[in-house]
Amino acid sequence: MTKTTTTDFDTLRDGDTIDGPTFAVSRESIRLFCDASLDYNPLHLDDDYMKGDFGRTNFGGIIMHGMNNFGLISRMITDWLPPEGVHRRLETRWVKPVRPGDVIQPTASIKARQTTHKSRWVLLDVQVRNQKGEQVAVGEAMVEFPSPTGAAA
Amino acid sequence: MAQAQSFETDFWKDANLRKSWDEIVPGEPRKTLPYLLTQEAIALYCKAVGETNPLYLDEKAAKAGPHGGLVAPPSIHILLMFSCTPADDWMRSPGTINAGQSWSYNIHARPGDTIRLEARALDKFIKRQRLFVVHDNVFFNQHGQVICSGRGQTIRPL
Repeated sequence: MTKTTTTDFDTLRDGDTIDGPTFAVSRESIRLFCDASLDYNPLHLDDDYMKGDFGRTNFGGIIMHGMNNFGLISRMITDWLPPEGVHRRLETRWVKPVRPGDVIQPTASIKARQTTHKSRWVLLDVQVRNQKGEQVAVGEAMVEFPSPTGAAA
Repeated sequence: MAQAQSFETDFWKDANLRKSWDEIVPGEPRKTLPYLLTQEAIALYCKAVGETNPLYLDEKAAKAGPHGGLVAPPSIHILLMFSCTPADDWMRSPGTINAGQSWSYNIHARPGDTIRLEARALDKFIKRQRLFVVHDNVFFNQHGQVICSGRGQTIRPL
């Protein structure tokens, strides 16, 4: 596996990896995400409410918005892409709650590259891990590297 | 944060007006509201996820960039979802748990855009005693161009 710093489509290889930004989660960062997203669900604000059970799940305290993971993964992808590259798709699911005090980091690896009759595409496996190395989010992304001529080489 | 102040942040208020899982009808459009996306809202979103890309934040650099001006990050739909829906929308029901989402991106939203949302519940089901609803959404700009489209699953409060 090679950690990729280049984003030239022709030099990318399956298995190349990308490291995203680390993100320290705190009560303040969660509150800021509430203000930025307008998602004020008490899951993210109210410790007393979070003492209760959600079906068979008890979170034990407030949790980070799942979409904060999504925003970090998207940031990793757009930071990695060259100016002509386009972030086209991101699919994620959350596998573990993230809590204040956690430090999370998205990473990606190239799963496949595909050329179509008008463009060039890269599929990425993406994940977010916490400071214990546990997966908290997994998914897949698709980015486009438009062909310089507007058609496949 | 003028935007947050004009928005009802107490999701318990009007909770009784929102549809429960039993009342949500797959296929039925959700009520939506047009939303004027401002540079201030984009900057606040960027701050929350640590975005420092000048294409979103630096007017001069953005003007010289590939989009010819400031744009919003692709994931701005996270903000648009709550901006474009009214207080009685079931997405705001306390205890709504987001189980995952997928989004496709067409063009960037820009500051000054008036964003419109077409949204509906697409499906609902029960799995391992949990009540799921699938929602699908398309955001448009004032020119009728698709900005992005997405689908997600939420676990509804019991």
